[in-house]
Amino acid sequence: MRIRVLSFAVATYAVAACRGGESAPQRSSLVDSRDTYDPRSLDPALSTDVPTGRAVSYVFDGLTRFTPEARVEPALAERWTISPDGLTYTFHLRRGVTFHDGTAFTAKQVVRTFERALNPATKGGRAEPLVPIKGAAEFAAGKAKSISGLDAPNDTTVVITLAEPLAAFPKLLAMPVASIVPDSIPADFGQHPVGTGPWKFVEWKHDDYLKFARNDKYWGGAPATDTLTARIIPEPSTAVAEFESGNVDILLIPQGETQNWEQTDEKQGMLQGASALILYYVAINTTRGPLTDARVRQAINYAVDTRTILKQLMSGRGYPTPGVVSPILDGADTSRTRYAYNVAKAKELLAAAGHPNGIDVELWHSQDATIARLSQAVQGYLNAAGIRTKLVQRDASSAREAARKGETDMTLKTWYADYPDADSFLFPLLYSGSKGPGGNVSFYANPAFDKLVLAARREQDDAKRAALYRSADSLAYADAAMVPLFFYNDLYAVQPWIRNFKVPTIFNGQRWTDVKIAGPEQRP
Amino acid sequence: MPSFLLRRVLLAIPTLAGVLVVVFLLLYVAPGDPVQEMVGERADAETIARLRRELRLDDPMPVQFAHYAGGVLSGDLGTSYITGRPILQDVAERFPKTLLLAATAMVLAALVGISIGVVTARWPGGLLDRITLGAAYLGISFPVYWVGLLLILLFAVTLRWLPPSGYGRAQYLVLPALALGSRSIAFLARVTRSSMLEVLGSDFVRTARAKGLVERTVVVRHALRNALIPVITVLGLDFGYYLTGSILTETIFSWPGLGRYVVNAISRRDLPAIQGSVLFLSVVFVAVNLLTDLAYAKADPRVSYE
Repeated sequence: MRIRVLSFAVATYAVAACRGGESAPQRSSLVDSRDTYDPRSLDPALSTDVPTGRAVSYVFDGLTRFTPEARVEPALAERWTISPDGLTYTFHLRRGVTFHDGTAFTAKQVVRTFERALNPATKGGRAEPLVPIKGAAEFAAGKAKSISGLDAPNDTTVVITLAEPLAAFPKLLAMPVASIVPDSIPADFGQHPVGTGPWKFVEWKHDDYLKFARNDKYWGGAPATDTLTARIIPEPSTAVAEFESGNVDILLIPQGETQNWEQTDEKQGMLQGASALILYYVAINTTRGPLTDARVRQAINYAVDTRTILKQLMSGRGYPTPGVVSPILDGADTSRTRYAYNVAKAKELLAAAGHPNGIDVELWHSQDATIARLSQAVQGYLNAAGIRTKLVQRDASSAREAARKGETDMTLKTWYADYPDADSFLFPLLYSGSKGPGGNVSFYANPAFDKLVLAARREQDDAKRAALYRSADSLAYADAAMVPLFFYNDLYAVQPWIRNFKVPTIFNGQRWTDVKIAGPEQRP
Repeated sequence: MPSFLLRRVLLAIPTLAGVLVVVFLLLYVAPGDPVQEMVGERADAETIARLRRELRLDDPMPVQFAHYAGGVLSGDLGTSYITGRPILQDVAERFPKTLLLAATAMVLAALVGISIGVVTARWPGGLLDRITLGAAYLGISFPVYWVGLLLILLFAVTLRWLPPSGYGRAQYLVLPALALGSRSIAFLARVTRSSMLEVLGSDFVRTARAKGLVERTVVVRHALRNALIPVITVLGLDFGYYLTGSILTETIFSWPGLGRYVVNAISRRDLPAIQGSVLFLSVVFVAVNLLTDLAYAKADPRVSYE
């Protein structure tokens, strides 16, 4: 449903014609326009999609949470200590916090929440962030009555023991599924959620909007605005029109309209960008035919001019990355030597690998307009280097399934970080234990890489940990298990009457608590 | 008439049974695994296996079908794999909105389209005729999403008379109904015009005029009524299509109707939601066809279903 066909030129004209004096909004509610489809549910245990995750971050709190800049900070846990072996986390909980229904928040609910999320009967299907807790896997499989690594010695303390040390664990607890729910969970909890978060749930009109009201008793200070509405607008051109009409306060600029906004003066002033933790890449299945040879995979990397692709097809909205760790995260190495675009070198490597006449491969991709365009560009580059590429387009679901089953030579896709950490890229995308549905659709398996990543996960010292991730990333990059194309940049337009909005780097990093609508006297 | 109704309703049963089988089979031969969609980007093989068991996806196909058909017969369309909500409840929530949009678009199209058709048929070759003929060609040719975006840009963004999109009071209905109905307006105008031209040239119209009836009575009472049969056919068909989900219009205008629900269900491989809504829409389509047939008899007494 991406219909952008002719709207461009018309939009440019119409907008130029009507913009001008700022028309003040006649409303007291903040209005978001980012959701393109109905959330799955508002129950944290069912959170697998972005609209759900965002809404959950308004109504609920976790023990930790993310800032818009994607740093982890204390939330319901005021602070925590970690045992020297990295196995035991002691969370000291905030006192005097109440749920929206007035019941008190205590350590007991933390235990119940995690048990509920992991309980097979919940059918959530996504409690992975809690699986590192000792005994969680057994509990989830129905082999244990409780989670052995989870304990609440008193009302304000939760002690969590992990099966193995995992330095990123506090970040996992900031994910939606780990949000704390109250004791009583009625059958329609997913429709009428009750949490401790900054916003109380008001109503949900399916496929239309979600409405939230300020939680006056919020422990972190009540939000600056009375209500927050998250509208569900499936068509990006429509979201643009809503923004132009002043009906919504923020707009995610559709990729295709980037230049239009960046090159129009009065629009440019409303733009705010931030690095998004979204990697665009071509996964190369390292177990198929000629692709088992690292030289062939390196040839593929040399053959693709990622800088030109980024500039021409993505309006430069991104960072061409030599690895899979975002440049804003610890563990990134932006000075790593890249596979600079070099067709001769690519052909040389192919010949060295015994394919002087080139090879034939398939490149799979979804129907998403951006992904399809990128795939065509990559195909062009590969063909020019003697890597004869056939494009196979499927709907997103089928393309993903085929890649997970290892049925594709190459797949052009995106990866969204679940939590802002190098681990959220290296572990799922390249660790041998994550093959297939776990995220590693390159089916990359390198014991040296695995060792580095596992060591990094255990390492408590931030600097050492970053160094380990850097080494792991370098190793996988040299092995060319994929073509990392670029990390994407989000671009928002924010209405001039909106104050204190920061573009979040991670989807659940903006809770709108400080954001307000400026009074007429304060407007520029 | 009652026996006709009964016969038609009985005939609908094998049709719907066929739909049930086809929908069920189609989704099982189509690529894409619903469980992969449910678990999101990252999952483990164990969870996937567990969910497949829970959803009976590993049962033999006939067993799955029997289970599903049994549920449908007892009025249970199942529960969504993704949201966990009953499909019937989801459909019941969205269908009235689709109905409202479709009905408004149809009334609008009928009023405007038939009027234009009658007027242009009365004065064929006139200025109005030539203008509307051209406009009708354009109306039929323009894709609805393009018309929709243009309407938004003109009436919402530039003139600011109407809201660009969403669901709410009457003003939210205007643009989507116009966009949805535009093709029908054009089509109805053309069908009415040609049908009217034929009728206006027939003997009984000459007789009516000869006996001194006022022109208005000749055109509206005598000619139009006789020219309505093909018009009703078009109305019925279009209404049926609109009711079964005006996907593009609902998407462009953020209208929370059934069309978007079906599209979302398809993209998320939500099998029960796809099956349930397609089945429901088939019932609607059959019902609209039946109503159209009944309307023939009403418009033309020569048509009889005895």
